[in-house]
Amino acid sequence: MVTEWLTRFRFLFTRRTHGEVDEELRFHLEEQIQANIAAGMAPKEARRKAAIAFGGVEAAREACREQRPGWFLETVLQDIRYALRGFRRNPVFTVTVVLTLALGIGATTAVFSVVDRILFRSLPYADADHLVSVGLMAPLSPNEFLLTDSYFEWRDHQTPFQSITSEDGVDPCDLAEEKPARLTCARVEANFLPTLGVNPLLGRNFTKDEDRPNAPKVALISYGVWKRNFGLNPGILNKTVSIDGHATRVLGVLPRDFEMPMLEAADVVVPQALDEARLCSTESSRMVFVFARLKPDVSIEQAKAALKPVFDYSLSKAPPRFRNEVHLRVRSLRDRQMQDIRLTAWILFGTVIAVLLIACANVASLMMARGAGRERELAVRAALGASRARLIRQALTEALLLSLAGAFAGCILAEALLRIFIAVAPDGIPFLSKAQLDLRIILFTILVAIACAALFGLAPALQRPRAQSLAGRSITSISRAALRQWLVAAQIAASMVLLVGGMLLMRSFWNLQNQNLGIRTESILTASLSLGQQRYPTQESQMAFSKQLEARLQRLPGVSVLAISDALPPNGYIHGMLYGVIGIAGRAKPEGESGGIVWWRSVTPEYFHALHIPILQGEGFTEEERNSNDHFIVVNKLLAARMFPNENPIGQRLQPSLSGPWYTVVGVAANVKNGSLAGEDQPEFYRLRRNRAEDWDRSSVMILKTSLPSDAMTQWVRSEVAALDPTLPAQIETLQQRVKKLADRPRFETTLVGFFATTGLVLAVIGLYGVISFLVAQRTQEIGVRMALGATRGDILKLVLGKGMRLIVLGGSIGFAASLGVSRVLSSLLFSIGPHDPVSFTVVGILLVLVALLAIMIPAGAATRVNPMVALRCE
Amino acid sequence: MPPSVDLLQGTLDLLILKTVALEPVHGWGIAQRIQQVSKDVLQVGQGSLYPALHRLEYKGWIQAEWKPSENNRRAKYYSLTAKGKKQLAAELENWDRLTSAIELVLERV
Repeated sequence: MVTEWLTRFRFLFTRRTHGEVDEELRFHLEEQIQANIAAGMAPKEARRKAAIAFGGVEAAREACREQRPGWFLETVLQDIRYALRGFRRNPVFTVTVVLTLALGIGATTAVFSVVDRILFRSLPYADADHLVSVGLMAPLSPNEFLLTDSYFEWRDHQTPFQSITSEDGVDPCDLAEEKPARLTCARVEANFLPTLGVNPLLGRNFTKDEDRPNAPKVALISYGVWKRNFGLNPGILNKTVSIDGHATRVLGVLPRDFEMPMLEAADVVVPQALDEARLCSTESSRMVFVFARLKPDVSIEQAKAALKPVFDYSLSKAPPRFRNEVHLRVRSLRDRQMQDIRLTAWILFGTVIAVLLIACANVASLMMARGAGRERELAVRAALGASRARLIRQALTEALLLSLAGAFAGCILAEALLRIFIAVAPDGIPFLSKAQLDLRIILFTILVAIACAALFGLAPALQRPRAQSLAGRSITSISRAALRQWLVAAQIAASMVLLVGGMLLMRSFWNLQNQNLGIRTESILTASLSLGQQRYPTQESQMAFSKQLEARLQRLPGVSVLAISDALPPNGYIHGMLYGVIGIAGRAKPEGESGGIVWWRSVTPEYFHALHIPILQGEGFTEEERNSNDHFIVVNKLLAARMFPNENPIGQRLQPSLSGPWYTVVGVAANVKNGSLAGEDQPEFYRLRRNRAEDWDRSSVMILKTSLPSDAMTQWVRSEVAALDPTLPAQIETLQQRVKKLADRPRFETTLVGFFATTGLVLAVIGLYGVISFLVAQRTQEIGVRMALGATRGDILKLVLGKGMRLIVLGGSIGFAASLGVSRVLSSLLFSIGPHDPVSFTVVGILLVLVALLAIMIPAGAATRVNPMVALRCE
Repeated sequence: MPPSVDLLQGTLDLLILKTVALEPVHGWGIAQRIQQVSKDVLQVGQGSLYPALHRLEYKGWIQAEWKPSENNRRAKYYSLTAKGKKQLAAELENWDRLTSAIELVLERV
């Protein structure tokens, strides 16, 4: 075997000259002539007979050459050389095909890589498919949760799970070491890590005993903290550090890829230390998030059914009037994590598939046009003795070369696109920053590209070359021309769908950006502070800090209005309570339902002035009221209209808690956007933040209205905060920046879809242009004849334009119908615009027709300039 | 058609190997000898002879050498290699098996 290969290589490199074979054959012929003469023939006759007996020299020589072991490779090289020569002769075709393929492959690969990371990534937990998030859905929260009294019941009586565990969420905490740091601490149950199937990288998880309320403090730190704060020193194990002022023993280090199931950033994991004795009563219950691992052969549906008894228990604990608003929810951890990202990912996916299809249709159409143009060449080659197999191989070689070039360019494009995606993507899209090109995906798209190039490149070679082709007349079969036209119509349809999607998102984004937020965002600087537990343990100290900072900021030059709130519209953390909980003096609490959620925040009197929120009725808060012992409240218009439809709200008394103080309504404020940018306005009320400790907590937002540039102001505010507490991190930004950040996600979606829609349109136009110019080139003679017979330029223009318009109208109407269906998928992403928005559809229709007309005008113009004499002489 | 082509090709290889086994001989000589020995029944055209010779040479069963011929012209002489001898033996055995099998069939049926 080895020697055989060695022989092959030897023959491959020692090229034998044609001369040797020729000499050998000549010798054979001479000998035959000699023999014939010896047999008594005349020399001339002998030569003739010998030549007849000998047969074709060329064929024999060729047959000898084919015996060479390297012959196959040689012909492949020959094919490649020939193909490259052809490409050089026809650079427009080559570049178009390669670019089309590059766009198709590049865009598909980049987006696939992103989507794959989001939709199909493997979660960093053992056997993650069995992990579920369980809980109750109630108006209080958009996600499932449990109250601790229910949780204990569920934990002790559930049947479908191997294990069930809970976490409290993540809070800021202070790590006091050589370099103090503000970290995030997640509070979890002792069986939390084992349930997820996570083993600490170093050390151990905490035990059930360490998870008791008054047990000595212990913690596990994340890999990041281990690296940043402790230099990867293994000596950290069992060391005592100070977390929020408590001596805490470090038990272990979490794996590098550890993440919390709800994807919160967690630097430290500490025991939840639930006080079961206290938390099992309904009154003192706390909210927890619950995760569980399904038993091996239990499905989510079965688990849901099996949870019925414990769910009924929870229902019985809920206030009777809320019961019909509480539902059981069990869903996979993946679904819990992905939420609405999933839709974005699928839309991206669909867009990209559409672009890939358009690209493939383009390549197919170009290859077929080239094939039709080369009919004569193929016929000549066949007549000169090229076998069918050889012609097919040649065609395949060309298709492969083009696809590989396109694939190579596509990979580069994919890498570039991916970097751009990551750069422009908002923070909220999980794992995008970790996305990288996936080899499987690259291979897949390259295969698709090769398949479509090869399929359509082969078609002309497979056809039996016809004798007429030699005459130079183009007689492309009708069916193939029809196929190309259908392809172009399909391209137009697909790009119409893309354009409609892009246009809808764009218009929705415009609405989102230009809506009336109810507040004025100009020249407002905000500073968000979250006071640490360790330095500010009491409400007194929290108030003292805020008052000091307020006094300092007030003295800054250029500050015209200063207000303190604990949350800012249109988004950001805000308190909520159920409408049904709010008591109104002189009325019984409503029976029946919770009434949905009512938001509230604590503000100082200047809040409305700073943000330009008009007070529609009453006075609003006054500075004097800050020192009052009474409680005051301002309701927004929505809440006022709901609570007091036919009464004057001013002077009414409300009790916004189950058993707290009564508040006097002193004003009705206009509505502001408070349910995120795209959400509906929600009922809301404002409590007055008085100079009393009970009105303060750890979070506050300083709102400064200033005429000075924000850069300078930011510096000043930062140094004022640092002067009071150098360790306190402050998030300082203008209100406009804050609002702009909220629109990052829709901006991302709009940009991407818009990009793909444009790509698709460009490709479709190239395809249309190609088909029409090809038709014109093929019919040059016909056009010449028509002109010679008296057709005017206008007639010719009409002829060509008519052909093109038919394709545009056909593709456009298919696209229109498809868009009507597809745009419905987008409706949940659209803001104050319907999925069948007539403006978008009209604009896209006109745009498409205009651009397409432009594409066919060029070849149509060329057709009118055909010189009849030249065209006719062509034959 | 493929089976008969294979058979013919294989047979030609066998005839060539057998012919060059005796002494080094050039292409023309091989054709002549096969024709003479078979009493003009087997006529090997150059169109199949030379490709076969080249194929056998590439396989390493025969080797070629340029030498002056009887008429003092340069000619390419082919001779059997050691590997070729083994191949010839194997092919002869194959041939015997094949022909006796065919004979058996022809006699019985």
